[in-house]
Amino acid sequence: MSRATEDVARMLTLIPWLLERQGASLSEIATAFGVSELTIRRDLEHLDYCGLPGLGGGDLFEVDLIGDRVLVNMADELRRPLKPTASEALRLVVALDAVTEVLGADIPALRSAMGKVRDALGIPERLVDVLPSGQTPIVAQVRDAVTSQRQIELEYVGRGDRDPRRRRVDPWSLRLDDGVWYLYAYDHGAQGPRTFRCDRMVAIEIQDEIATTAPEETFEPPRYQRSTGDDYVVVEVDRNARWFIDAVEPETVEERSDGTAQVALWTDSLPWVARLVMMGCGSIEAAAPQQLRSMIVALAQAIADPAAPIKGDVAYTAATESKDA
Amino acid sequence: MTVSGPPKVERLVNLTIALLESRRPLTFADIKRKTGFYGQSDAESARRMFERDKDELRQLGVPIEIRDSLYGDEPGYVVSRARYELSDIDLTIEEVSALALAMRLAAAEGTRLAFAKLAARAPDPVGDHDVRLSVAVDVAPLEAIADAVIGRQTVSFDYRNADGVADLRRVDPYAVVQRGSNWYLVGHDHVRDDVRTFRFDRMLSQPRAVTSAEAFTRPDDVDVRAAIQGPEHPGEAILVASSPTARWALEARGAVAQPWPRNTHQAPEGWTACELQGFEPRRDVSWLVSLGPDVRVLAPPSVAEMVAEAASNILCRHTGECTGPSTESASNKDQS
Repeated sequence: MSRATEDVARMLTLIPWLLERQGASLSEIATAFGVSELTIRRDLEHLDYCGLPGLGGGDLFEVDLIGDRVLVNMADELRRPLKPTASEALRLVVALDAVTEVLGADIPALRSAMGKVRDALGIPERLVDVLPSGQTPIVAQVRDAVTSQRQIELEYVGRGDRDPRRRRVDPWSLRLDDGVWYLYAYDHGAQGPRTFRCDRMVAIEIQDEIATTAPEETFEPPRYQRSTGDDYVVVEVDRNARWFIDAVEPETVEERSDGTAQVALWTDSLPWVARLVMMGCGSIEAAAPQQLRSMIVALAQAIADPAAPIKGDVAYTAATESKDA
Repeated sequence: MTVSGPPKVERLVNLTIALLESRRPLTFADIKRKTGFYGQSDAESARRMFERDKDELRQLGVPIEIRDSLYGDEPGYVVSRARYELSDIDLTIEEVSALALAMRLAAAEGTRLAFAKLAARAPDPVGDHDVRLSVAVDVAPLEAIADAVIGRQTVSFDYRNADGVADLRRVDPYAVVQRGSNWYLVGHDHVRDDVRTFRFDRMLSQPRAVTSAEAFTRPDDVDVRAAIQGPEHPGEAILVASSPTARWALEARGAVAQPWPRNTHQAPEGWTACELQGFEPRRDVSWLVSLGPDVRVLAPPSVAEMVAEAASNILCRHTGECTGPSTESASNKDQS
């Protein structure tokens, strides 16, 4: 969308907004529209030349700036705002839904407001849904901790982890990003800011202790970043195992006409890739490195005989110990 | 760019007002007269400028319709006030304050103007609340289908299913859902005559509306979340031995601790037995296999056999030692 088009979109909303708020200040207007006062000044200058004199039956808009207060008259043609577009409306409802999910219990007016907004925009419930189901109880606890600024004891399974580990954190903020809830927090064990996925939290306990660190503003959802010593993995997937491509962040994907593909990726955790290959039940083959192949062979051998005695931890360790952090 | 004449923003605003105010469709000549624009000596370029302006306004959502005008075969343009205006929402001061707070917390991009539209004729928000919460949702994949979903238009698109087979689908879009980083469309598939789920990243062409608005009724009883998760199977109960480290994975699926069965191998240190309800072998065996030697299926034997068979398929693929006929794997993670 061009700059001029964006300006027009704002101006078509500015007029009805101002007609309801005669004498609003430039700074109030700028805040409501999320732009600078300078931008609002420029909008007002343009609007002063808008309106249809004479033949239209109307007249030029009257826009007056007295001090920093704005008065608008003769602009009744635009007394109501333009309907939001479909994608604007979806985006708005998605954001509001996410907040309602987390804060609806605290702010009852939010739920009733959402009902009215949905009606006005023609978006019934469940038309758009970005909230991962089943996470609500944990997310609600995290929300409570963030609100009360109290420390949390987390049982958390990191990506390369086989089992949950306990962490003591100061909860800083909660964020929904790409369909996943994240807690951004100070990790007392690691002595630094860390991001935790709420769907990897096994248990959370809110402590009596108040958080001792001040929240930092920067938040980045964790992304895999390659570092030295990481492994380059090549995997063959059958056409019924194409989900593998979505489960990893591939470096390259070579598609073949029969629906199979060769996928290459970097990883800091071969056991994690081994787990995914095992999940393929034979429809995924680890081609390289050899270490990954051996790991998978050892894991498969350990479960191949349902009648063999259970070896406990020995089998898993033997299969993966060569490189399990 | 034309040197003379009013800036583009003024042209677009006035064009909107002219179309909105007129009770009858306006021809291009009418528009020229009413607005005083598009009077360049080069009629062709004036007309092109008008066409561009019209398209840009439509992009903003200004519903410019083309009708037959009263005079000859010149098309007439009109904007219906009912389709243009957002009707009053009647928010209480508590409600508008709650929405303003939610908007500020969500801090989602590209929602500020839409909220200003909603709140334009509502009371000003009051109060404050301090919760650190933010929401980032990228709805860009929805741009192509938003109008059709809200306006209830049937769409068609080329689609490649999980098996890599592509064909043309015709779908009544009921809902859009995001899970993980994937977007899904849930809708009624005309050819299959059933509710199906489509992944946006498997659409080979942009969904195109093939009907006018309100072409279908959205049923009240479509469970969108269930549609994403696939058909519900009653499943069966299985008994699993678990190492201490796999216990959380089983508990996350609702496993309940059981006494260690007497007629089986001795429990290694720290191992426990647990029962898992609603186990659907076709769907869930691959998950058990991924836990490796951390779990062992104790009952029923059929499920234990499926794990062993998966193991032998994996071995066959990685060592070339293949026992017995290799069967299609039990992996069934995708739908549609």
